[in-house]
Amino acid sequence: MAQSILQMKSRLLREYYKDFSKYAKGRLPEKKVAWVTAFVPVEILEALDISYYYPESYAAVIAASNAEQPLLSESEAQFLSCDCCSYSCCIEGCLEQEKGPRGVPPKPDVLIATNNQCNTLPTWWNILAERYQVPLIVLDYPGEAVDRALACEYVTKQHRELIARMEKLSGNQLDPAVLSELIANSERSVAEWKKVAACLPGYEIKPTILFDDISFLITSRCKAETAELYRLMREEIEQMPAAGKDKIPVFWLGYPLWYHADRFLSELLEDFRITGSNYVTWWSLDYSGEDAFEKLFQAYNYTFLNLTQETRNKILMELIQNSGAVCAVTLHNKSCKCDFVSAKNISIPQAEIEIDMIDRTFTDMEKAGRQINILKEVICAG
Amino acid sequence: MKLLALSGLIPEQICDVVRFTGGVPGTARDQDPRGTGRSEYARERGVAHYCGYAEDYISAVRQDDTVDGAVFPKSCDSSRIMANYLEDCGKFLYQLNIPARQDELAVEFFAAQLEQYREAVERHFGRTIADVAERTEAVNVRNREIRRAYADLEGVSYRAYLDSIHEMLTRPLSEQVVKKDLPVKKGAGKRVYLVGSFLADTEIAGVIEDCGLTVVGDDLPESGRLAAMPEADPGGELYREIAACVLRGRLSPTQDNFRQILSSDMKEIEEKKADGVIFVTQKYCEPYDYLFSVYKKMLDQRGIPATQITLADSGNERKARLALEAFADVI
Repeated sequence: MAQSILQMKSRLLREYYKDFSKYAKGRLPEKKVAWVTAFVPVEILEALDISYYYPESYAAVIAASNAEQPLLSESEAQFLSCDCCSYSCCIEGCLEQEKGPRGVPPKPDVLIATNNQCNTLPTWWNILAERYQVPLIVLDYPGEAVDRALACEYVTKQHRELIARMEKLSGNQLDPAVLSELIANSERSVAEWKKVAACLPGYEIKPTILFDDISFLITSRCKAETAELYRLMREEIEQMPAAGKDKIPVFWLGYPLWYHADRFLSELLEDFRITGSNYVTWWSLDYSGEDAFEKLFQAYNYTFLNLTQETRNKILMELIQNSGAVCAVTLHNKSCKCDFVSAKNISIPQAEIEIDMIDRTFTDMEKAGRQINILKEVICAG
Repeated sequence: MKLLALSGLIPEQICDVVRFTGGVPGTARDQDPRGTGRSEYARERGVAHYCGYAEDYISAVRQDDTVDGAVFPKSCDSSRIMANYLEDCGKFLYQLNIPARQDELAVEFFAAQLEQYREAVERHFGRTIADVAERTEAVNVRNREIRRAYADLEGVSYRAYLDSIHEMLTRPLSEQVVKKDLPVKKGAGKRVYLVGSFLADTEIAGVIEDCGLTVVGDDLPESGRLAAMPEADPGGELYREIAACVLRGRLSPTQDNFRQILSSDMKEIEEKKADGVIFVTQKYCEPYDYLFSVYKKMLDQRGIPATQITLADSGNERKARLALEAFADVI
């Protein structure tokens, strides 16, 4: 019998969280454990039967559970400046107090960070390496600005080295056929997710569902059932009513606000309808290539935040056009310098709001309200 | 040709780059008419949570007519997105991707990038660069002199030492001379070790000395790190040698190897019998903020007091003086 969407989500979540301290209750994980940043080539880890966990995603869960404030305070007490990325502050507090809505993730045997989304993450992970005294592997992705052949050789050698080290850690031998199948799973997940995300402008759905459910593309993209989950989700969305035309179509440029029940400033945007978001496209990785190594290079070297400004402008303009948005709410995120510059050259009116995706106390809501009112006036006057 | 370099990770061996030492003619933070303490460019763009040193660098490149181009690393988030703020300035721009590792693979990759950098400079300025080996030797010689000066740090005024190095780094390599007749340090103060990024505001060094503290060592990019930079063999595989020299000296926290930084710094702090450590960080400089959190714990375990001074605006010196006076009392 076909599984329902809810059953599939529950199964994936249960599998992901089973070794967190709240559920493990002292039981040690059966597999070796890697902690990874959001754009690590996890297909390699999956192929070698290594468990992997995403502290960044867990910070989002913590904020969504309204539990971030004491943890942010704790990290400051541990000498970590509150100016640092809130994902890191939240997780540092969580690990220090060993507290979180699902406890803490199982202790890592290895830490793997990449710099294809920002340079802050690998720096933060040096702290984790000191805390756990385990190896830190930083995968260096030069990005689009560097000559492709040079970058490809450099990245591929790192991927090969990662495989060798993970084989040693896990005691398993990588089967190239398994790796290729897992990459194919990721490709299918991305393809199905793109169809889900494409529904946002046309159907009466809140972006909340996309902000939350993209988590499966992050944590489970190479698992076979993820593509099927997204296929079912799209079918369900297509049964919903078409979007009304009575509200101002707006593009949400930036992270979801994890602390907010709707993940966006719904109370200030009652006259608007979010028809597009760049965040929900970030994990739509392009796995094109002749072989597994070229596919992994293509996917992880050319992540959105590792592209040149010119390419990002092009992609963003296309996203905005497809969304039908006539204006944007652009988040000037305290925790992410890299994302804000994405909005540098968009040619629609914007409200630039100072915000943080984890710390609910950061935003001056009155000011944000005024900015959004001005945006509305500009659009209505135009 | 005047290329402004943002960081010590930009090699001086390929072609002349002068080091940005802070301040922008006519737009310095202390001349800010609105009193916001922010560079003109940062105010215009509304760049928040952005390293002030990087902001000033952007302003300098955009506004200083004597600057022909900018060479900057991709090594932290502020430098990573720098090209976005400079793209329309009409000057030569080059970003070097600093590997997040220091192994042979990284050296090989960085060496290839350095060759491409040389070609880009040649193309843009229509000149041939044929003196890389000579420049490599000149950098070696200069760094030996800095090493000597650094070894005598305790005996001289630290402020004067830093000022002299900053002044020197704003000149082309052929005109750089390490000053030898620095004013002698008066009296023996409590011994401190200084950690941080490029100390553009050398007034802070003066405040440290005014508080009766003697800087016995540092890991600043323009001082301790330059003194510890390995020599590149001008007769060897040149670009590989230069790449190794840049990547394998004393590390910056942006190079993602805190373990090595902690190990080498703790060794020097203990060897030099420092009574305390002063961490001078730029506001919104995450690499040093992260480093401080583990550095502080490690110093606490060793019973060595540490303090953090965060430089943000034109009120730097006053706040720093209060904090350093209190710290001097503690140690």
